[in-house]
Amino acid sequence: MIVLRAWLTGRVWRELAYLVSGVFVGLPAFVLALVGVVAAAASVLTVGLPLLVGVLALARLAPGWFRGPARRLLGWDWADPPPLPARTFWGRVRALPGDPTAWRALAYCLAHWPLMLAGAYPGLICVVLAPLGLTYPLWWLLPWDFPAFDGDTWADTWWVALQGVALLLATPWWLRLIVLLDRLLVRGLLHPSRSQRRIAELEAGRAALQSDAAALLRRVERDLHDGTQARLVALGLTLSRIESRSDQEPVRALAADARGTVTEALAELRDIVRGMHPPALDDGLEVALTTLAARSAVPAEVTVALRGRPPDATASALYFAVAELLTNVARHAGATRVRIDLRTVDDGLRLAVTDNGRGGATAGPPGSGPSGTGLAGLTRRAAALDGSLSVDSPAGGPTTVTMVLPERAGRLP
Amino acid sequence: MRVAIAEDNPLLRDGITLLLGEHGIEVTAAVPDAAGLLAAVAADPPDAAVVDVRMPPTFTDEGLRAALTIRSAYPGVGVLVFSQWVETSYARQLLSEQAGRVGYLLKDRIVSTGEFVGALRRVADGGTALDPEVVRQLLAAPAVDAGLARLSDREREILGLLAEGRSNVAIAEALHLVERSVEKHVTAIFTKLDLPPARTDHRRVLAVLRFLRS
Repeated sequence: MIVLRAWLTGRVWRELAYLVSGVFVGLPAFVLALVGVVAAAASVLTVGLPLLVGVLALARLAPGWFRGPARRLLGWDWADPPPLPARTFWGRVRALPGDPTAWRALAYCLAHWPLMLAGAYPGLICVVLAPLGLTYPLWWLLPWDFPAFDGDTWADTWWVALQGVALLLATPWWLRLIVLLDRLLVRGLLHPSRSQRRIAELEAGRAALQSDAAALLRRVERDLHDGTQARLVALGLTLSRIESRSDQEPVRALAADARGTVTEALAELRDIVRGMHPPALDDGLEVALTTLAARSAVPAEVTVALRGRPPDATASALYFAVAELLTNVARHAGATRVRIDLRTVDDGLRLAVTDNGRGGATAGPPGSGPSGTGLAGLTRRAAALDGSLSVDSPAGGPTTVTMVLPERAGRLP
Repeated sequence: MRVAIAEDNPLLRDGITLLLGEHGIEVTAAVPDAAGLLAAVAADPPDAAVVDVRMPPTFTDEGLRAALTIRSAYPGVGVLVFSQWVETSYARQLLSEQAGRVGYLLKDRIVSTGEFVGALRRVADGGTALDPEVVRQLLAAPAVDAGLARLSDREREILGLLAEGRSNVAIAEALHLVERSVEKHVTAIFTKLDLPPARTDHRRVLAVLRFLRS
């Protein structure tokens, strides 16, 4: 009975099912790996190179391909590999031959299928033969004769039964060993590497911080608008009523004075909120940028062509970048016209602000200017969102400042 | 005059109600949200509605949408919209079809009660009232309209005051001009915007619309 106990648990059957399904799931991957080996050998002649790139691109899908049965049958799970850093098609093609993730996945494809075969074949044999062997002595006692019996005496049949017991004892351990080896391969080759996991954690943490900061600013803005501003207006209203009700000139003058202060406080409050989280952003970037352009000292025209709504942190960064650039243009460029163009492109969101001023602007290395101001500050803020900033400003103009941000902050498309 | 108020902040709602009462304006309804306002206007159409842009449940622009609904469903009801901040696109939406019986002011202006009540009366009487800050921003935007581009600085200034809803007399006072000279400028604006005198004489409104749509 002890012998059979392992077979009564679900585990051994699940492992067997995993190995058998692995033979089928692993076969196309194995073929892919073989093609990959041939392509790698042929890539010296450059004809194999496009094939190799294709194979590696497919190999990147391996972690997802193998995850299904592993998760259902054994409860294993792992994250998708991080996407390639390049964002354009040709950038990806160039990056693939040097991509460790793809090569590791391809190695797994090569090793997985033979391993599954080594587990599934004996496993299935055992499942068929062991019960037969175990019951061999009983079969001997049956009155009719089986031609397939190769034992000569009843004692010999006990020897076969013993072999059946041994097979039943050993097979679960063999299956377990194979699955363990596969587990090690998965860990080593399909799981994201330690540094990749760390990067993913840091990116997730940064994205969470960014959205927290954006949410906090938005809440403060709401509180100021719906609480403080409303109270100030109510206060001004009361002062105004005092002013109109009183007959005494000194009281009226005092109330009018206080009302003036309230009006100034309200104007200040509006400026503060504008610098924090522009409420217009809630209506989308196009509305917000148009409002911003309308306030610009230099006449500005705005074109916005976006697919979908960017995350708050990205929208806010773009808004303040435009605000900063418009201020720069008004202060330094001596321009008479500014064009603001924001659109979705292959690499993400591209903001281009062009003026017809005198040119000669430089971004400078990050950190050279006071932090958070000027082009250096914008470069830093773009970098914080995995974006980039470039300045094209020949002497005599025109100046174009281009900011490119990924569509999703913290995660490349 | 009879007015309905939609404002979610109770302090302000009560304040405005009291203030209007003191100026002899009857408040037919004071409700905290857009749905309440629409119901109140349907039940008893007032001369004008005072609407806060940002109200529950979403706190974005439900007030503006309610105002647009009232404008199309009850053309006789004037709408004065309040916003916590300046938003030129709100003004454009409000004025997109016709410029009469509509106003858009910053919430701060309630503090200057005289201006506020004046604006409300103007809107109820079929005029327009635009916040000077909104007009300033609209004016600062580059003119795409060729006719508008032809205007001189002084004419743009006067067009801005027209958009605020001021009369020639008020404009003359604001700019320290004689009324006659304001009239000349206004005629020049009409000419440059190619608005010939017609019997359906609403050139002032048409000029303001052109200016707002640019």
